[in-house]
Amino acid sequence: MNAGQPAEPRIIAEDLVKRFGSFVAVDHVSFRVGRGEIFGFLGPNGAGKSTIIRILCGLLRPSAGRALVAGIDVARDAERVRERIGYMSQKFSLYRDLDVEENLKFFGGIYRVPRAELGERIRFAIDMAGLGGREHALVSNLAGGWQQRLALGCAVLHRPPILFLDEPTSGVEPASRRRFWDLIHALAADGVSVLVSTHYMDEAEYCHRAALINQGRLIAVGSPEELKNTALGGDLLLLECEMLGPTLAALQSAPGVLDCSVFGNSLHVLVGSAERSLRELPDYLAQRRLPPTRLVRIQPSLEDVFVQLIAVDSAKRRAA
Amino acid sequence: MFERIIAIIIKEFIELRRDNSARFRLIVPTILQMLLFGYAATYEVYHVSTAVLDLDHSQESRELLSHFTASNRFDVVEEARSQRDITAAIDRSDAAVALVIHAGFAELLRKGRSAPLQVIVDGTNSNTALIALGYVNAIAANFAKDYATDLAQRISGTAGARQVQVVLEQRPWFNPDLNGRWFFVPGLIGTLTLVIVVNLTAFAIVREREVGTLEQIMVSPIRPVEFILGKTVPFFVIGLFQVALIVAVGTLWFQVPFAGNPLVLVLGSVLFLLSTLALGLLISTLCSTQQQAFSLNFFILNPFFILSGFSFPISSMPQVLQWLTYVNPLRYYLVVIRGTFLKGVGLGVLWPELAAMAAIALILLATSILRFRKSLE
Amino acid sequence: MRWRRLKAIAVKEVLQIWRDPRSLMIALLLPFTQMFLLGYGVNLDLKHLPVCTFDREGSQLSQALFKHFQASQYFTIARNVTSYAELTAAIDDATCGFAIVVPPDFSERLNDTGSAPVQAILDASDDNTANLALGYATAVVAGYSADVQLHWFDRQGRPLQQIEPMTVQSRVWFNEDLESRNFIIPGLVAVIMALVGAQLTSLTISRERERGTMELLVSTPVKPVELMFGKLAPYLVLGWLDAAFCLVIAALWFAVPFRGTLVALFLTTTLFLVAVLSIGYLLSVLIRSQVGASQIALVVTMLPTVLLSGYVFPIDQMPTVVQDITYLLYSRYYVTILKAVFLKGSGILELMTPILFLAVYASAVMILAARSFRKRLD
Repeated sequence: MNAGQPAEPRIIAEDLVKRFGSFVAVDHVSFRVGRGEIFGFLGPNGAGKSTIIRILCGLLRPSAGRALVAGIDVARDAERVRERIGYMSQKFSLYRDLDVEENLKFFGGIYRVPRAELGERIRFAIDMAGLGGREHALVSNLAGGWQQRLALGCAVLHRPPILFLDEPTSGVEPASRRRFWDLIHALAADGVSVLVSTHYMDEAEYCHRAALINQGRLIAVGSPEELKNTALGGDLLLLECEMLGPTLAALQSAPGVLDCSVFGNSLHVLVGSAERSLRELPDYLAQRRLPPTRLVRIQPSLEDVFVQLIAVDSAKRRAA
Repeated sequence: MFERIIAIIIKEFIELRRDNSARFRLIVPTILQMLLFGYAATYEVYHVSTAVLDLDHSQESRELLSHFTASNRFDVVEEARSQRDITAAIDRSDAAVALVIHAGFAELLRKGRSAPLQVIVDGTNSNTALIALGYVNAIAANFAKDYATDLAQRISGTAGARQVQVVLEQRPWFNPDLNGRWFFVPGLIGTLTLVIVVNLTAFAIVREREVGTLEQIMVSPIRPVEFILGKTVPFFVIGLFQVALIVAVGTLWFQVPFAGNPLVLVLGSVLFLLSTLALGLLISTLCSTQQQAFSLNFFILNPFFILSGFSFPISSMPQVLQWLTYVNPLRYYLVVIRGTFLKGVGLGVLWPELAAMAAIALILLATSILRFRKSLE
Repeated sequence: MRWRRLKAIAVKEVLQIWRDPRSLMIALLLPFTQMFLLGYGVNLDLKHLPVCTFDREGSQLSQALFKHFQASQYFTIARNVTSYAELTAAIDDATCGFAIVVPPDFSERLNDTGSAPVQAILDASDDNTANLALGYATAVVAGYSADVQLHWFDRQGRPLQQIEPMTVQSRVWFNEDLESRNFIIPGLVAVIMALVGAQLTSLTISRERERGTMELLVSTPVKPVELMFGKLAPYLVLGWLDAAFCLVIAALWFAVPFRGTLVALFLTTTLFLVAVLSIGYLLSVLIRSQVGASQIALVVTMLPTVLLSGYVFPIDQMPTVVQDITYLLYSRYYVTILKAVFLKGSGILELMTPILFLAVYASAVMILAARSFRKRLD
C-alpha cells in the first residue's frame, strides 16, 4: 500500500479515533492531502466518511489522534480553521426559503467577503453553478443538481484553500454529476485542496488519490491507477465456462488462486501471477472435466478492487 | 463582527417575509387574545345567581329581598318553595348563593330581637364566595341600620339611644372604583408578550439545527456572539411591534387610564422584551429538536405565568416560591406596567425592577452565547 | 380499519417516544414538578398584608386600634410613618398595600359626637386584594368599635344594650373553609393536562413531514383513521400516567378534599385526554411546519385554558359573548368536572352535561382530523 505522501500537505490526519459510546466510528485513520489535490473518500454507507470530515471541520471532537488543517490543529483552534475551509454537508443545508442570490449574499456576509469583491464572487459562483438567469429563484424550487452546485458555490465564495465535500453528488443524476466533477477539477487546478466523499465507486476515477474506508478503517490509499494495479495484491483473470458453480468450487482449492467470484455469467479469478495461472489453470480445470471456454487477463476496474477489498476486510474482521 | 450580524439579520427578515402565514400568526391571534382575555380576566363579582326562599311572606322580608335585587351584585334566578329546592339549586350550580328567610322574621324584627337571615354560599370558588359574602353582609347591615333607625324613631320619636362607633372611611388609591379590568389589562399586556415572544424565539436556533442549515453556519468562522446577536435583533423588532400592538389594543379598547411616563413604560418594555427574547434563545440553544423546544416552552411558560403576580398575589405564596419569583422577568414587568399605568410612578420607584430585568436579560443572553457550541455534539 | 396496521403505527410511536428520553422526561417529569411547585403558588387567600400606620393623634385609643390590626391574621404592621409623604412613598413602591390613618382629633370626636372616622388608604391597583382587604379591615374596625362601645358604657355605668336588629348566619358549602387552594388546584390539574396533551400530539404529523418520513408513510396502504388511532394510543397511556401523578398530588399532598368516585374521575379524565390529544393531532394535520403547529397549539391551549376555562376567573362573570366562546374550549368542561368531582362529590349522572359536551367535542375533532388528513405531500 502506497500512502503517497504529498509534498505540501494541507490536511494531515494522524491516528484519528472517534467513538460514540462503545461504537468505534473512526478507527486509527491517518492520511495527508496536498495542495491542489483531489482526495476521495470511498466506502459503503456508515463506513465513517462523514464522521472524519466532520472532525476535520471541527464539528466533532476526535476521541484520540490529531487533525491538522492548513497547519492548524482543529481540536485546538477550530475557528481559525473555519476561515480557511469550505464545507458542503451530506444533507442539503442552504436556506430553502431564500433565493439563490440571497443565500450567496448571506454566506458572503458570514464569511466577511470584502464588499468590493462580493459582487464579483457571487457572479463567479452563479456562473460556476450555471445558475445564470435563476438568481431570484427560490432554492426550494431548484432541482437537486442545481441545489448541489449552488451549495458548492456558497462553499467556495470566500476562496477557501481547502474544501470538504461530503457526498456532494448523492441523489444527483449522472449528467449533473459529471458537471459537478468538472467544477471540482477546475477548483483543484487553481490550487484548492479538495477532500470529497462518495459512495459511487466510479467517481473514484475522478480523484487524484482515493482512500477506501470500511467500518471506520482506511483499507487502501492510492491513485486510481495504483489501486487498480496493486491494491488487489495479485492479477485478475476472466474465466468463461459452461458450469459456473462446479468451476467456482474447483477453483477455490486450485494452486495459485487467491480468490474467485462470480461476475455476471463469468468468473473473476484473483491469482498470484497471471503468467503462471494462464499456463496452469486450463489443465487443472480440464482434469476435472470443467474446461474453460475462455481465460484472459483483464485490467480490474476500481469497483472490482473495492468490492474485493471490502469483502476481504469484512471477512477478516468476522474472523477476528 | 457587524457584517456577520447584519448578514444573519437580513436573512431572518427575508425568511419572515417569505413565510406568508407568519404575518397572520403574528397579528391576528395577538389582537383576538387581547380582546378576549381582557374581558375574561377579572375577579369582580356582579350578578351572582341567587336563589331565595321567603317563608315569612311579610313586608319586612320582601323589603330585605328588594335590597338584594336592587343592587347589581345579585340576580335572583329562582324563587324556591322549600329548603329542598334550595339545596338542589346549589348542588346543580344553578345558584351560587341562597338566601333563606324563616317564618317569624318580621315578628322578631318588630320586637327588636335579632332576626336571622340565613345565607348558603357555594364555596367552590372561594374567592367569589368570599366577595359575595362581603356584599351580603354589607346589604344586610344597611337594611338593619335603616330598620333600627326607623324603629327607634317610631318607639321614642328621637334619634334613639346614643351609639358610639368607629367608622372606616375607604380611600382606594389608583383605582377608586376597584375596577378589575384596570388591574388585569396591563397584566395581560405583559403575559401575552411573554408567551408570544418566547414562543417565537424558542425555535429560532433549534429549527436550523433540525433542518440542517446550522451545520453550514457552524463550519463558518462566525462567533457565537455574532450568531446570537444576529438572531436577537430581528426578533426584537418583531417583539417590539407586538408589544406596541398589545398596548394599543389594551389601552384604546379597554380604556385603561395611563397615569405615568410613557418613556418609563417604553424602557421597561424594551428590557422585558430583551429578557424574554434571551429566554427563548436559551431554550433554543438547549434543545436539539423542535419537539423538545416546544415542550420546554410549554412548561416554562406556565410557572412564569403563575409565579408572576398576574393572578395570584406573590405576597400570599410560601417564602420559597417568593424567592423563585425573583428570577421571573414577568414579575418585574408587571410591577413596571401596573406602576406606570395605574400609579403613575416613575424611575425613582421602578429602577430596581428595571435593573433586575436588565440583569436577567444579560445573564440569559450570555448563557445562550456560552451554551451555543459550534459543534454537533 | 386494520388492527395490524394500527398496531404497527403504535409500536413505531412507542419506539420513537422511548428513543427520545429527553422528551419523555419532559412529558412525565414536568407535570409532576409543576404540580408540586405551582400547587403552592395558586393562592388567592389574603394573609399578612403589610400595613402602614400613620397615627396623627398618638393616644391610647389609636394604639389600641393598631393592636387589633396586628392581632388579625390578615394584616401585619410593617411600617409606622409620621407624614403623608412617607405614607405615599410606602404605597407607591408597594412596601405596604394598605395604610390606616388616625386623625388628630380622633378621641375628641369620639367623645363629642360618638362617631369618629379612621381612614383606610389602600393600593387598589390590584382590585381583588383591595376588595378582600377592605372586607377584613371593616371587620377589624367593627370589632374595635364594639370594644370601644363596651368600654364606654362600662365607664358610664349604663347597662350594655346592644341593638342588633338582624344577623346574617352564613353557611358555606363544598369548600367550607373557603380555601382558595381547594378550588384552584383541581383547575390546575386540568390546565396542566391540557398543556401536556396538546404538546404531546401537536407536532406528530408535521414532524414526519419535515423529516421526510411522511413520504414513505403515505405511499403505504395505511388509512388515515389507522394512522390517527395508532398515533393517539401511546400518548393516551402517557396522558393517563401524567393525570394520575397530578390527581394523586392534588388529593394526597395538597389535601384537596376528594368526595367523588374514582370511576367518575377515570372516565372523565380519559374522555378529556382523548379530546385534547385529538386536538393536538388535528393541529398537526392541518399545519405543515412544526413552528407553525406549535405556535398555533400554544395560542389555542395555553392562555385560553388559563384564562377562559373557569380555572380562576369565574365564567359567569364574563360578558355573554365571551361566555359563549368558552363553550369552544375543551378544558372548560374538565375544569367544571374536576371541581365538581373533588369538592361536590358529583357522580357521572350529575356531570352528564359536561361529559356529553366533551364526548361530542372529542368525536367531532377526531372525525375532522381523520377527514382532513390527505395522503398527499403537497
